[in-house]
Amino acid sequence: MTTKITSAPPAAGLRKESRRRPAASPSISTVGRPGFAWALPAALFFTLFAIVPLVMVAVLSFMSWNGLGSPQWVGTDNWSRLWDDPVMLKSVWLTLLLTALGVVIQTPLSILLGVWAAGYQRNRAVLSVIYFIPLLLSATAVSVLWRALLDPNFGIPADATWLFGDGNLFGEQATAIGVLAFVSTWQFTPFHTLIYQGAARSIPQVLYQAAEIDGAGRYRQFFHITLPQLRNSMITSMILMIVGGLTTFETVLILTQGGPGTDTTISAYYMYDKAFKGFDFGAGSAIALALVVAATIISLVVVKVSGYDKMRSSMEGVS
Amino acid sequence: MKTRARLPRLIATGATLALALSLSACGDGNGGASADDGKIHILVYGDATNKIEKQIVDKFNETSDVKAVLDTIPGADYQKKLQTIISTPQAPDVFFNWGGGSIKPFVKADLLLPLDDFIKKNPELESKFLPSVFNNAVVDGKPYGIPMRGTQPVLLFHNKNVLKKAGVQPPKTWDELLNAVDALKDEGVTPIALGGGDVWPTQMWFQYLFDRIAGPELFAKAIEGDKSAWEAPESKKALKMIRELVDAGAFGKNYDSVKYTNGGSVALVAQGKAGFELMGSWYYSQQLTDHPDFAEKGLGYSAFPTVEGGKGDPKNVAGNTNNYYSVLKKTKHPEAVAKFLELMYSDEFVKAQLDVGNLTTTTNTDEFIETSATPEYSRFQYDLVANAPSFQLSWDQAYPQSAASDMHKAIQQFFNGQLDADGFIKAMQALPTE
Amino acid sequence: MRRRPNYLAGAGSLVWLVLVGLPLYVMLAATLRTRQDYAQNGPVSFPDTFTLDNFTGAFDSGFGQYFLNTLVVTACVIGIVLLLVPPLAYAIVRSRGRATSAIFRLFLLGLAIPAQAVIVPMFYLISEAGLYDNLLGVILPTAAFCLPMSALILSGAMRDISPELYEAMAMDGATPRRMFFQLVLPLSRGGLSTIVVFSALQAWNGFLFPLVLTQSDATKVVTLGLYDFQTEHGIDIPGLLGAVVLSMVPILLVYLFARRALVQGLMGVGGK
Repeated sequence: MTTKITSAPPAAGLRKESRRRPAASPSISTVGRPGFAWALPAALFFTLFAIVPLVMVAVLSFMSWNGLGSPQWVGTDNWSRLWDDPVMLKSVWLTLLLTALGVVIQTPLSILLGVWAAGYQRNRAVLSVIYFIPLLLSATAVSVLWRALLDPNFGIPADATWLFGDGNLFGEQATAIGVLAFVSTWQFTPFHTLIYQGAARSIPQVLYQAAEIDGAGRYRQFFHITLPQLRNSMITSMILMIVGGLTTFETVLILTQGGPGTDTTISAYYMYDKAFKGFDFGAGSAIALALVVAATIISLVVVKVSGYDKMRSSMEGVS
Repeated sequence: MKTRARLPRLIATGATLALALSLSACGDGNGGASADDGKIHILVYGDATNKIEKQIVDKFNETSDVKAVLDTIPGADYQKKLQTIISTPQAPDVFFNWGGGSIKPFVKADLLLPLDDFIKKNPELESKFLPSVFNNAVVDGKPYGIPMRGTQPVLLFHNKNVLKKAGVQPPKTWDELLNAVDALKDEGVTPIALGGGDVWPTQMWFQYLFDRIAGPELFAKAIEGDKSAWEAPESKKALKMIRELVDAGAFGKNYDSVKYTNGGSVALVAQGKAGFELMGSWYYSQQLTDHPDFAEKGLGYSAFPTVEGGKGDPKNVAGNTNNYYSVLKKTKHPEAVAKFLELMYSDEFVKAQLDVGNLTTTTNTDEFIETSATPEYSRFQYDLVANAPSFQLSWDQAYPQSAASDMHKAIQQFFNGQLDADGFIKAMQALPTE
Repeated sequence: MRRRPNYLAGAGSLVWLVLVGLPLYVMLAATLRTRQDYAQNGPVSFPDTFTLDNFTGAFDSGFGQYFLNTLVVTACVIGIVLLLVPPLAYAIVRSRGRATSAIFRLFLLGLAIPAQAVIVPMFYLISEAGLYDNLLGVILPTAAFCLPMSALILSGAMRDISPELYEAMAMDGATPRRMFFQLVLPLSRGGLSTIVVFSALQAWNGFLFPLVLTQSDATKVVTLGLYDFQTEHGIDIPGLLGAVVLSMVPILLVYLFARRALVQGLMGVGGK
């Protein structure tokens, strides 16, 4: 990071800077581009309140500490313990599984809902407000609601035994994972829908009008105009889903507490379990750091592969 | 440009420095002055009982020059927050805990004030409480806690109508319980309701059976760090009996999806869909709130059945002995704190707790018990606790809190068959004991 | 809009309505009935009783003060996010400097930091700064953790502004500052309202930072107050949900308000 910053263009005196820069670079497209200083306040603020604590977490991952007394250096002990821990290994698979389920279920769903909600019909406006509400609920409320609704004796399973059998949804791994995937879909789809709704609305109507003149039907329009135009939003939303899937665990915390046994203990929940239930802050920090690194690498790969970080706008290919 | 380039490195250095400073600062445990506002801070588990704690604090503030402030932490996260702040200047002067393992790590870290000085000055701070309860906050021979809520022994509750229909009496022995399970199954009801989703209700079956079969000594050995205790024949016998009970269908099939905390298992019993439920004494007031008709007419209770040939005294009870106030060493107002703790056996405190159905464990409780919201029920419990030779503290509270999560996993996994007896024994042996 | 109605989409949205609506119905029904009614008849049934006690009960337990605190936190978090993120996103999208792309990567990294992981160091940071048990101590980290997601969303929205528009302004000799205020901000209203909604939600439903960084009643926020309905061994579900419904009202208003801005902002783009 340090070397990159030295090579950065000077940032102070924006106005003068941007006037001077075209002279240095002949390309017209650099005219009037903002400098590094525009990003600086946010970067500093963020560094102080997120990166600094993260650095401390990294240091803690090489220490043994239960929150009381002084932390002791233990070298790579925490890391090697985790490496040999079968629960940790299992949790990695569960994390990948749940993240994949989230992306596979939520992406098509939120694209469809987003495109649908982008219409200007009045009923759609009203319904999309209702669809949005799950996002407003606090974790406690979500947990209380779904545990009550899925109670085997008094909830939905009791009235639909043909589907749920004895209703032991939280007692077996497969169904518990199913519930987790479903509830996180229920809770987080509205957010991704919002992203797609905004993007779908900004697709120029001209494109559809032209397609209609060519005689393209609704489904061809969807696959040949809408979907390609949503590309940037899809990447944004997928990065959020992947990173979210890897690092958040509230759904697990509020619904299954990782159970039955360790059958839904995803890595992020395992981190929480180690740090705040076992008060093994060293091991917790190691898991946390591994997750942050993994999620960052994955999102960087997505960004690179998709060319998202290039200055290409979705409008460019159109006009 | 040069200075800007160094910025990230500077930040990193600063961060490491800050970490080193703050971590070493918390190590010496003196506590800074920043949190000292001349008041004593009392930290309690945030829930509906707080109004009594508030009332007592107000009462204290009427007469004391040093004022007390009540801080509450949302229940489920109480321990998390406590562990974060207890070795910092933000630590309270007095805090709520469960005795036993919940304070052991703090004692080991030399954070807590042994109360023998207080007791030397005012022996009533010990003598006014039932010994079996007071002793649960004694660590390494020194008292560290004063009981501050009610005792909650675990009882076997039942639905009178369901039992009558199946021709079953409340079981006095384990065999009678097994017979009752069969009779209730024939009636088509779940014999025993269990909120397995919460796991701690499942654990109640373990702690009672181990106590009945092996006596309290075996568990005491285990918690002292003797791992072989879990391999003892008594331990294996208890596990075998639990296995048989589960396999007999006593709890139905979907107990892991049922919760006690959201009223699921409570409603099963109240609506006659289940016969029994093993639960702490708070069960009565839960039923009274949710199903008042049933609580008054149909709810019965009895002590946990005896087990033939078991080494444990059949009069032993298990459950939550009480909650305790412990005092931090760093407090600047020990005299005021001692005065505050004396209120925990005052008549006003006892009456206020009895009023909401909490059964205090002071020696003067006996004289006020008729003023309780539920005199008959309070009397039953009080006699049970007062006559019990031993009161087994709930396992997850007797062990250090850091063991609770892994213990719950093992208990749930043994119950639903994911672990066999050997696997369970291994898991329990792996738990930290200090 | 003059196209024939899309029956398939309509049917699909109805299915989703049931899935979303049923829990919401259960929630509303629970808040309007007594605790006994809820316990005896189960969550899915139709209420036998009608009561507003669950709402008034919430206020009796001090929710007024908690609301106020949450409101302050939310407003300040939104303020900080709106101050910091638009220039950041603008730089990410438009700047060609390698430093800016390094910053973009820094925020991608930040996206993956779970608040749970850093809570212990955060506690030391905040208490060293003397901000423990102070709303500011909740506001600053909450805002910081809103930044990565907001930056990603807003830069996504800003990417959709046509490059021709910038070039046209550049021809007129516009400075980056003028472009920012006259072109970028007006055209990214949709993205702006999304990040307002997002950070409002984070602040409003934030639990962990307030839990660890505040202590007294004077700084208690609504999410912590919800625990007044729980005891060690049970929950007053109708009471809890009553408080939840109450606490949702203001944020729903923010959303409705932001939604209008969202629609307007996007119509502006469509009109070009």
